[in-house]
Amino acid sequence: MGVLETFRGYVVSRAQKLIGPEMLKLFLWLRYLRKKKIVFLSIAAVALSTALLIVVASLFTGFINALERSAVETIGDVSLAAPIRFGKYPLFIERLKQTSAVEAATATLSAEGLLHLGEGKVRAVKVWGIEPARRAKVTDFERFLRKQGQFDEEPSFEVTGSMDMVGGFVGIGVVAEPNEKTDEYDGRVIEEMLGIQVVLTTGTVIEAQDSAGSGAGGLQFKRRVLGFTIVDIVETGVYDLDKRFVYLPIEALQRTLHPTEDDQFADQIQIKLADDVRTDVAVAEIWGVWQTFAAKELAWAPYLINQTTISTAKELQGRYIAELRKQMGVLLVIFGVVSFSVIVLIFCIFYMIVRLKQRDIAIMKSCGAASASVAWIFVGFGACIGVVGSGAGVVIGYAITGNINAIEDLIRIIFGLKLWKSSVYVFSEIPNEVDWVWALRIVLFAIIAAAIGTLIPALVAARTKPVEILRYE
Amino acid sequence: MYKVILAIRYLVKRRITYFAVLAVALCVFIVVVVMTVMIGLVTGFTQKNHSFVGDCVVGTESLVGFPYYEDFADVLKQASFVEAVSPVIKSYVLVTPVGSEHNYGLEMMGIDSALHSMATGFGETLHHHKLDAAKAFAPAYDPNLTGFVVGIDRWLERDSNGRYDHSPSPTRAGLAVTCFPLTAKGALAKAGAGLANTKTFYFSDTSQSGLAKVDSSLIYLPFDEAQLLCMAGSVTRASAIHLKFKPNVRLQSGCEEVASLWRKFKQETAGQSQASLLENVTVQSWKDNRRAFIAPMEKEQTMLTVMFALVGLTTVFIIFVVFYMLISHKSKDIGILKSVGVSNANIMILFWGFALLVGLMGSAIGVLFGCSFLVYINDIEGWLFEHFRFQLWDRTIYAIDDIPNQVELRVVAVIVLSAIVACWVGALVPTWQATRLKPVETLQVSRL
Repeated sequence: MGVLETFRGYVVSRAQKLIGPEMLKLFLWLRYLRKKKIVFLSIAAVALSTALLIVVASLFTGFINALERSAVETIGDVSLAAPIRFGKYPLFIERLKQTSAVEAATATLSAEGLLHLGEGKVRAVKVWGIEPARRAKVTDFERFLRKQGQFDEEPSFEVTGSMDMVGGFVGIGVVAEPNEKTDEYDGRVIEEMLGIQVVLTTGTVIEAQDSAGSGAGGLQFKRRVLGFTIVDIVETGVYDLDKRFVYLPIEALQRTLHPTEDDQFADQIQIKLADDVRTDVAVAEIWGVWQTFAAKELAWAPYLINQTTISTAKELQGRYIAELRKQMGVLLVIFGVVSFSVIVLIFCIFYMIVRLKQRDIAIMKSCGAASASVAWIFVGFGACIGVVGSGAGVVIGYAITGNINAIEDLIRIIFGLKLWKSSVYVFSEIPNEVDWVWALRIVLFAIIAAAIGTLIPALVAARTKPVEILRYE
Repeated sequence: MYKVILAIRYLVKRRITYFAVLAVALCVFIVVVVMTVMIGLVTGFTQKNHSFVGDCVVGTESLVGFPYYEDFADVLKQASFVEAVSPVIKSYVLVTPVGSEHNYGLEMMGIDSALHSMATGFGETLHHHKLDAAKAFAPAYDPNLTGFVVGIDRWLERDSNGRYDHSPSPTRAGLAVTCFPLTAKGALAKAGAGLANTKTFYFSDTSQSGLAKVDSSLIYLPFDEAQLLCMAGSVTRASAIHLKFKPNVRLQSGCEEVASLWRKFKQETAGQSQASLLENVTVQSWKDNRRAFIAPMEKEQTMLTVMFALVGLTTVFIIFVVFYMLISHKSKDIGILKSVGVSNANIMILFWGFALLVGLMGSAIGVLFGCSFLVYINDIEGWLFEHFRFQLWDRTIYAIDDIPNQVELRVVAVIVLSAIVACWVGALVPTWQATRLKPVETLQVSRL
């Protein structure tokens, strides 16, 4: 009992000691805030800088995330690119699916070509021969189809009313240009393109026949022409993809490029990984399956096998993303340096308060307050300004970032200035997610900066001598 | 005189004003550096676009092109304000390196290299034929072969210093170029025919325009060959005519003259068989022709300026606080001045003069440090790259050479003026309060 009483007494005395000065500090902070309206200027400055830095960081991070996400949505988690086309890909896909790392995989045959869309309309395009149903399981492909994406059925190249005709999907930017002012596509023009016949010219290199027909005449380019019907329009929201890509049935592209070959072949495999699989482990496993398959089934030499690249979607964008991160860092440093003036502002305001409140300080010190406690009043008040200012900055930053597309649209309507165009900035919409990790860093930086701004005034306050300030004369 | 003495005295004696000067200097320093670099990039990019297209372009977006271009080119050559005229074919081609299985699509420009070098900066962009652009399509290893010039980023890779590893002379390499031959109605001329409209060209030179999109996606072919590949039909057609005006001709008036000549020409040829194709032809200055490329950079520059203006608001706050403090402490000075008959206007002039002094000093320091930093900015970047592998822009990705560091006096003047205006804005309310001080209150014995 005696021990408990002693302990309780100790706790109460500590609490009194702690709460007393704490309450005094809080009282003074609130009083200064109420009486010295100029303090609100420092809060506004902190809020402004914090909001600006959060918006910049969020826009950059949002853009980087959108790039990474678009890569995964377009090519899946992992992409295998062979140095030359290879056959028996259905067997390879089967073997991949037998592993624990792979959930689904699909083949792609790629080519380049010229697409004739009508009178005088020719576009240079990238052609992907794909398996639409399988592709929909590996990527978000189905979602990007303007017509078929609205239904739950598997995507298909089937041309309504005709079994013989080849159907194809075309990127929205291939058939139309976004409006110069609104950056939006004209839905009517796109609808009109559905069902029309277009002509694709591509080519392959074949062994030229010599006069004896032995095939020793060297390699020769042979033009291949394929007519197809546009059955759907692909709108990924990524300008470069929408502007350049045409999708055809892989079998039709095979027949067009190499009409004399019967084997099924591809030059890329896109893979969706199983949930909870580590990417590096999955890539190693895929690499093992590929080595065995290429050596045994394709009889490829080791040098050819080693020329195959297996990359995650994020790795494929890695170089550009690293550059973007660097630019974001440079911009944050520039704005951070400019925001240094917030420290100067807080210093000026606190210096003024300390000068004006010398009598308060002297009275506190004459009542027994230690110099450190006096200094802490001002440092703590500065930190509080940092907290309040950065809090307001977070709210403003969140509001601006979240509504950035609406703000951009408003600027377009009022000033006729279209700031964001998909043809320049890749995506049709400005990424509008707040980067909370960076927001937290900026808030901490703002609080520390605000506290630093008060250090010299706090020191001046701590060195105040009551005997000099409170002299009667 | 007392205004000057007091302003200097406040500046020297009140140390708090040093912070106001420091804040202005910091802001001016950053803005001078960033805006110089940004303006340098935009100006360089704009000049490269100008060099790429010449002064004026008469052309159509349609790949079908327009007929009777030779007649109109003759009209232009006779005009007193035109220095050079270059007809151009524009289309898309499929390109296959000889001996390779891969092919890729490129934009194609068919040009007469001699004419195009006179009308645009094409000759300057060449590596092997810089001194003799007329022979740009004659490969050095065999001038009898038909050559091509290709955008440098399609042919060579940039190293980390932004340089290309050119061979001393062009190496022999062939490209099979396939193109859609279009009729005057825009239809495929050889639709259904199995024959390839393909011709093999040989590497002659690279073109480095400094425009990333152009250098990575454009191939130049001889004009006549390009016309044979892409334009089918009895009447020859071109996609555009690029012009260069004589030195003293203003861009706008030159373009208006060309437009007038074009309207007249169109009327004269109205009865001809393919005259309908002339309806889609426009006359554009180089600025309008390249607007889609230049405008985004200009917008980014504007956005950066707005952002700096927002951040610069803090400087206005600092000036406000410093002046507020100063006037609070110097209320007796003001009281005495007013009691000896100094007017409110003169009190305002005193403090605005002081604000001007703060703005000028801060700006001078900021400009001095900013210019010094800019002088060494490329050396600093070189040092950072050597020791930390850090580059402001990865030169293997961006078509940027050195960081632009040419300080423009006009820009510096605008920045300094903005800094002074910011100081005046910051000083506005405290100065107003100073004019409202009453000597009878500030000079009361009890407050002395």
